[in-house]
Amino acid sequence: MQLPADPPPDHEDGSSRREFIRRLAAISAGLTVAAPLGRAGTVTEKSNLQGEPPKTDGAEGLIEIILKVNGNTERLVVDPRVTLLDALRDRLDLMGTKKGCDRGTCGACTVHLDGRRVLSCLTLAVMAQGKKITTIEGLATGDELHPVQAAFIKCDGFQCGYCTPGQIMSAVACISEGHTGSDSEIREYMSGNLCRCGAYPNIVEAVKMAAAKMKGEVN
Amino acid sequence: MTTKNIGKPQDRVDGKLKVTGRAMYPGDRRMENLAYGYLLTSTVAKGSIRAMDTSGAERTRGVLAVYTPFNPLKLYRGLDSSEGANSGEIQPPLQDARILNYGQIIGLVVAESFEQARDAAALVTTQYDEDNPVASWETGMENAFTPEAVGGESATIKILSEGVSSIDDAIKDSPVVLDATYREPIYHHNPMEPHATTAVWQGDRLTIYDATQGVVAQRLDLAAVLGIDEDMVRVLCPFVGGGFGCKGSMWMFSPLTAAAARALGRSVKTILTREQMFTLVGHRPALIQRLTLGAKPDGTLQAVKHDVRSTVSFSKVFVEAAAHRTSRLLYKSTNIQVSQTLVPWNVGGPTFMRAPGCAPGMFALECAMDELAAKLRIDPIELRIKNNAEVFPGKNVPWSSKNLVECYQLGAQKFGWSKRNPEPGAIRDGDWLVGMGMASALYPAHRSQASVKVRLQADGTAEVSSATQDLGTGTWTVLAIVGADSLELPIEKIRPELGDSALPHAPTSGGSTSVASVTPAIQRAAESAKRKLIQFVLRDKRSPFFGMRAEDVVYRDGKIEGGGKSADFGSVLTAIGRGAVEAVEMAEPGEEEQKYAFHSFGAQFCELRVNRWTGEVRLQRITSVMDIGTVVNLKAARSQIIGGIVFGIGMALLEGSVLEEKTGRYGNANFADYLVATNADVPYVDVYFIDKPDTIFNPLGARGIGEIGITGMPAAIANAVYNATGNRVRDFPILPEKLLPLGLNQPAISMALR
Repeated sequence: MQLPADPPPDHEDGSSRREFIRRLAAISAGLTVAAPLGRAGTVTEKSNLQGEPPKTDGAEGLIEIILKVNGNTERLVVDPRVTLLDALRDRLDLMGTKKGCDRGTCGACTVHLDGRRVLSCLTLAVMAQGKKITTIEGLATGDELHPVQAAFIKCDGFQCGYCTPGQIMSAVACISEGHTGSDSEIREYMSGNLCRCGAYPNIVEAVKMAAAKMKGEVN
Repeated sequence: MTTKNIGKPQDRVDGKLKVTGRAMYPGDRRMENLAYGYLLTSTVAKGSIRAMDTSGAERTRGVLAVYTPFNPLKLYRGLDSSEGANSGEIQPPLQDARILNYGQIIGLVVAESFEQARDAAALVTTQYDEDNPVASWETGMENAFTPEAVGGESATIKILSEGVSSIDDAIKDSPVVLDATYREPIYHHNPMEPHATTAVWQGDRLTIYDATQGVVAQRLDLAAVLGIDEDMVRVLCPFVGGGFGCKGSMWMFSPLTAAAARALGRSVKTILTREQMFTLVGHRPALIQRLTLGAKPDGTLQAVKHDVRSTVSFSKVFVEAAAHRTSRLLYKSTNIQVSQTLVPWNVGGPTFMRAPGCAPGMFALECAMDELAAKLRIDPIELRIKNNAEVFPGKNVPWSSKNLVECYQLGAQKFGWSKRNPEPGAIRDGDWLVGMGMASALYPAHRSQASVKVRLQADGTAEVSSATQDLGTGTWTVLAIVGADSLELPIEKIRPELGDSALPHAPTSGGSTSVASVTPAIQRAAESAKRKLIQFVLRDKRSPFFGMRAEDVVYRDGKIEGGGKSADFGSVLTAIGRGAVEAVEMAEPGEEEQKYAFHSFGAQFCELRVNRWTGEVRLQRITSVMDIGTVVNLKAARSQIIGGIVFGIGMALLEGSVLEEKTGRYGNANFADYLVATNADVPYVDVYFIDKPDTIFNPLGARGIGEIGITGMPAAIANAVYNATGNRVRDFPILPEKLLPLGLNQPAISMALR
């Protein structure tokens, strides 16, 4: 019996992904309940990290934060409960980053903080201060698409397009992390981003195509 | 009309917007004066609301209003399909205190920010008079009933040979009988985009950005529930973040949001949470299906009996026509009987989900065929070819185009079916048991009335517009491709427009009908626009073709030619001082509907392995061959089939909503516990098309493609699991625990031989 060259993905990794997601969900649920009560704590922690206490507006309970998004410095006065995702979408009009679950289980809200992929729905906006935030809108250079964006079009790595910004942000990180050694490695490291249209095989092709292109450019 | 673009692999014309984050989905709209809605939902499944305390929420900073049954907004009943629309629920929320399911809408909090609305909603407390809900087959059977009709036919259809008094007699007379019962849980669509609505009033006029598969039906339905003239409503939805059926109906949070916006004089946006997606926007019903097949020893079917029980809500009838759309027609059998019973539960309204009827029905029928083949020791493909139906059973009309046998044969060859060992549990690879399975795929082809506008413009571009939708299905690109070929222009010159109820009307994008319905209208409108263009250029003194005879002037490759002159249409329009020439045309099915049956068919194969210690199933490779008529965009068509396959993987192995019997609550209403297939769950997928145009169906010969991809996959997987292990799991999803214990000593082999 001839077996395919591609070995079956290790089921242990699959299980740990589920476990990871369950843990994230638990943390997320905790945050939702705790955030309004733990406001002071959040502010203190932030001021320690930043070395500069955030300004609060006593009357409204709002705080002023500074976010560096896609190369721009944005000054916002927000409710401390605001997630990075909702700050990007509802305050900065960066609608490319999507909300699929708001609980860290789907990956649609993936953005980069200092080049690392994070779930912006599980990140409070105040926590992102001082970090370089990159969203899907910040990936292309003018009219020239990032190689991952171009590869997603070429390989039809999406259908409805809703998970696509998150997929692309994950794919860029997946490549820079060096997790493109095989199809099954790409599948594993792209499995935090759900796609209900089922574009997965095309996403794998797109990641491979972009990785090859980016490697060529580096060399 | 050329065919330069039709059938080629074409990049999506909306691709750049989607990969740069600039595609605007309904929840992405921002505007001045926007407020945020957050729904309150019930925490019991049956009973009535005694009291609600909203004082804490009302005192919360930023809160504008808290609407409940005690402080309602007036809403009217929804419309059903007989009225040209399709409300997911007929009864509007907040008009009484009754509770019919867990997670039912019991209020709406509107506030200045999302955070304020959400946290205020958490402060509302509700007291209920609670009854025991019906949330299991056992308790539900007391209220079981027979639907008045199933897809326009009787709930029980009997096609019996002369002299046969009943299907049970035909079964009794069969030398070989297979009798098996298949179960599946409730499934949820879970598109990645949660339903969203943003309502904007200007005076009495409502503009609503709504996540919907049908802007025209949504407009009619919204107007009815709001009690206003539909001419005052405009529905916009240029991008939909996946639908799979759950955005094919209007759900009540949408008019509720619009009513709040009207009352407050503010624009209001409401986006459902993932948990609310489980109770407010439909699901595929749970089913119990009993299949009885009677055959001669050579495999010839002489009885097919398929009895379906499907769940339904207490508020609206919905029939998951699992037998009527499958066993009633797939195989030639001298005797066929299909029947349906509905079992009401205290759940939200069920609705169409990708390949309604066909996906669950084919799970049962195609597993039963595999079981029969094993019993008869006949190859499963041979058994299917032997019983291939040449005419539609009971009606004796031919199919407009059917190439199912070719699908089996090509699929078997491409997949390497001949390497399958028919003995279950015979192939091992270390700790893995390896198996192969196959199943037929099936989905009806429908088209409805659709209108399209084609507008040739002075800048040399052409607009092709229709109130159709692109759910990720590729409609934007189909309009461009068919528009380009109809107008003999490059694709870059076509400006498609859709997702706007103000455009010429097209049907809801459901039932794989959009391409089949809209493309004939594109072709007609293009021909009309060309004719009008020529009339204009003959009549105008400024035109180089002025005074020529109509028969001497032609439109070719985007140019007007005649009398030795040639000029592109844009320059001629400019010369005669016209901005554009446009035509709207309608196309609809005709008499062919009476003379033929219309279906797409296919064959799907997979190889998988099952871990002998953990029972985990890993798919290795999948091959699908599809007979769907003309392929319009080879790239998107392949993606659509893969998408259906991925849905099928989830249905067979991962998904299933866990309804708690005592509370009627879904215990896994989130993506951490309702498992959909991830990238690591999907292997290499090989897709082939027969690509024979079905020109009896429509001029382009294209049948729909959105749903057939799922239909054979669940059974193919279940059959491969049997081939790998000898275990027949008839209860979806096939979780590891249902396969265990496996492989300790040699049970896989011994089970196979029992």
